Amino acid sequence: MFDSIIIIIVVLLLLIGLFFMLAGTIGFVRFPDFYSRMHATGKCDTLGEGLMLFALIIYETGYEGLFKGDLQHASFVSIKIILLILFILLANPTSTHAIAKAAHDVGLQPWKKTDETQWMYDQDSGTDEVINGGEIK
Amino acid sequence: MTGIIQMQDIFLSVAVIIVIASFVSLYRGIEGPGIFNRIIAVNVIGTKTIVLLVLIGFIYERPDFFDIALVYAILNFIMTIAATRY
Repeated sequence: MFDSIIIIIVVLLLLIGLFFMLAGTIGFVRFPDFYSRMHATGKCDTLGEGLMLFALIIYETGYEGLFKGDLQHASFVSIKIILLILFILLANPTSTHAIAKAAHDVGLQPWKKTDETQWMYDQDSGTDEVINGGEIK
Repeated sequence: MTGIIQMQDIFLSVAVIIVIASFVSLYRGIEGPGIFNRIIAVNVIGTKTIVLLVLIGFIYERPDFFDIALVYAILNFIMTIAATRY
């Protein structure tokens, strides 16, 4: 009984994390601008990854540890995954902020809704060197 | 309902969906205009790879993969900071 409850909680958390990760991927492909793409990936990836690793911690501690009696090994693995979650919660917003600051310093303009056709023209002709249609400050 | 084989099948399905999502992200990395889209695509794929490594560690029941996931997370963070500083 208790076994089934743990399995259900783990699968539910895995599915919610997978939903956030897929939403982040769809937003990353479909959004029109660099900044809005970074908005999608920065939140959804951090939250999805945290939830999935948390589900794996619950699985390891509850199922492997309490039911198979291997609690020492289970806590050893769980501490490693907790360290991984803490590092990701520190590092992922920092890297997102660094990328956004670098793009703003280079002079990448945010997307305005009024000049939509002009934006499409600029993005289609953009290469690595020519960012935002050559309008580098 | 709660066999160990079944849980490993669930982990394997989640891992396959993550691989598909990272390939969808790779489209933006190849096609995306500008260097910043490529940097953020590499960051996103690295984030997905960390979860994938932990899931592989659970599927094959080898705890060595968690150390690899930690090292991969640190390398991904350092690489992103270095690319933005450059």
